Amino acid sequence: MPAMIELEQLTKHYPGRSAPAVDSLDLTIAEGEIVILVGPSGCGKTTTLKMINRIIEPSSGIIRLQGEDVTRANPDHLRRRIGYVIQQVGLFPHQTIGRNITTVPRLLGWSQQRIDDRLDELMHLVGMDPGTYRDRYPKELSGGQRQRVGVARALAADPPVMLMDEPFGALDPISRERLQNEFLRLQEEIRKTIVFVTHDIDEAITMGDRIAILREGSTVAQYDTPETVLAAPADDFVREFIGSGAALKRLGLARVRDVELGQWPTSPIGSGREAALRALASSEHGSVLLLDDRRRPLRWVRADELEQPGSLERLGVEVRGTVEPTTTLAHALDAMVGSRVGAVVVVDGSGALLGTVDMRVIMAAVDTMRTDAHEQDREEVPSR
Amino acid sequence: MLAGLLVGSVVGLALGMAVHRTPRARSAAVHVCGLILTVPSLAMYALLLALLGTIGTLPVIVALALYSLLPIVRNTVTGLNGVDPAVVEAAQGVGMGRWRRLVSIELPLAWPVVVTGVRVSAVLLVGVAALGPIIGGPGLGELIFSGLRVITSPNAVNLALMGTLGVVLVGMLLDGAFLVLTRVTTSRGVR
Ligand SMILES: Nc1ncnc2c1ncn2[C@@H]1O[C@H](COP(=O)(O)OP(=O)(O)O)[C@@H](O)[C@H]1O
Ligand SMILES: [Mg+2]
Repeated sequence: MPAMIELEQLTKHYPGRSAPAVDSLDLTIAEGEIVILVGPSGCGKTTTLKMINRIIEPSSGIIRLQGEDVTRANPDHLRRRIGYVIQQVGLFPHQTIGRNITTVPRLLGWSQQRIDDRLDELMHLVGMDPGTYRDRYPKELSGGQRQRVGVARALAADPPVMLMDEPFGALDPISRERLQNEFLRLQEEIRKTIVFVTHDIDEAITMGDRIAILREGSTVAQYDTPETVLAAPADDFVREFIGSGAALKRLGLARVRDVELGQWPTSPIGSGREAALRALASSEHGSVLLLDDRRRPLRWVRADELEQPGSLERLGVEVRGTVEPTTTLAHALDAMVGSRVGAVVVVDGSGALLGTVDMRVIMAAVDTMRTDAHEQDREEVPSR
Repeated sequence: MLAGLLVGSVVGLALGMAVHRTPRARSAAVHVCGLILTVPSLAMYALLLALLGTIGTLPVIVALALYSLLPIVRNTVTGLNGVDPAVVEAAQGVGMGRWRRLVSIELPLAWPVVVTGVRVSAVLLVGVAALGPIIGGPGLGELIFSGLRVITSPNAVNLALMGTLGVVLVGMLLDGAFLVLTRVTTSRGVR
């Protein structure tokens, strides 16, 4: 993937401070990726981000955008090529939502028709009905809606790059999670190059294709995919910053389709009790899964339950809480712990059985992730 | 009087916009405008008469403009500095130049405060303007002075009273007019 943004020896000295806020930072950001700058408060994330669109002028170093040195380019023209979203949103309170969103297209002198069409498109993109919201004012919206408008305004002229400084940081946890997911879905469509600042490692892991963990002076402690950072932290600083529960966090990244599923004995419910007992006898599991004629799982039944009289449709427990291949292992684990048999059933789109996730599957997945990350770490030439 | 206010508003607004970013220029401007206001109006008229070498309308307008500066400059500065920094940063972030930012974002947001300054000035000027006729200019004071000139006649008190009441009335009307003006010129989004 070609580089979209290259920072070379980027440095910022604030007047009256002995240590630089950003100290000779080298960082390359590939086209179409979400790169997260994450680190403790005051480590220089915001300063780094604001130097990319020159809201803060660097003391020294070079900023390249699509290969072009923009360190001394006209900052206003540069900024129209870079979407900018901040935590406080900063909507223009005296302008309607429609005018806020179309700020950059109007600055660029687009025709009215093109502006109107783009406004409709953008509002749909961020999930706001144009008819309802276009003529409202910012103070009439909720925090989450305001940040949606902030994102739409940043995307208005379709810039290749977006800079986002803790964009969801001021929202309550529920809105934050919703906007994170919406934004990831949006990114699937728009494929922008995004530099995203947060101090929250969990947000970094959820949102990032790649994360740069920064320490004091915006020095890169580790720059890698979330999976690798979790599985093979570069040093104690990174390990401490990730905090406890790294293994659990990794399960939030892996999906059911990535692991080898467990297989339990199955038997069509129509074949009767004998068939079910035979299936059970030939495996080491204590329960059998009864399927309907389209291989959809119906009930878990134990051997002793099969000895009891009564119709098969009433024996054992109903299969509940199935998961799909796209479910994360963390969710699958959650469902598994809540199930009576210690396994959760995986089904495809039509509901037919694919396999199961149980503790052995989870442990195997954790093991594989660990070895993969170590191998990858050894192969890669250190980039720092 | 309105001419004086208009000139004062334009100059005051420009001055306020020019100095609001630099703390030192800001306090200097506010100080000087404050000093102007302490010059007694009669002395001011006399001074301008000497400086401009003419009597009549011009010195009155200049005097009124000078007197109106303090509230306008001070409120322009306060209004502009009161604009949410996040909004200014966002305007910068979308690529608005300094001038455009000022005109299309900062000034509209500071507007209610700025107009309040103009309103205070207007009311202040009504009193000052009353003395305009002393140097041959126009002004409501004419009635008061006619009254004073014929102080011994039975009409004198009536004339002076009418003039004074007139001044107060004009002041009140102006105040109301400005309240309405502020309301209709302020965006619904910031009311
Ligand atoms: N305008 C400024 N003047 C002086 N120091 C600043 C300024 N902005 C930030 N700093 C300092 O630079 C360091 C990095 O700040 P910042 O980039 O905001 O960190 P972060 O976003 O990671 O919390 C901090 O020590 C902060 O106090
Ligand atoms: Mg910050």
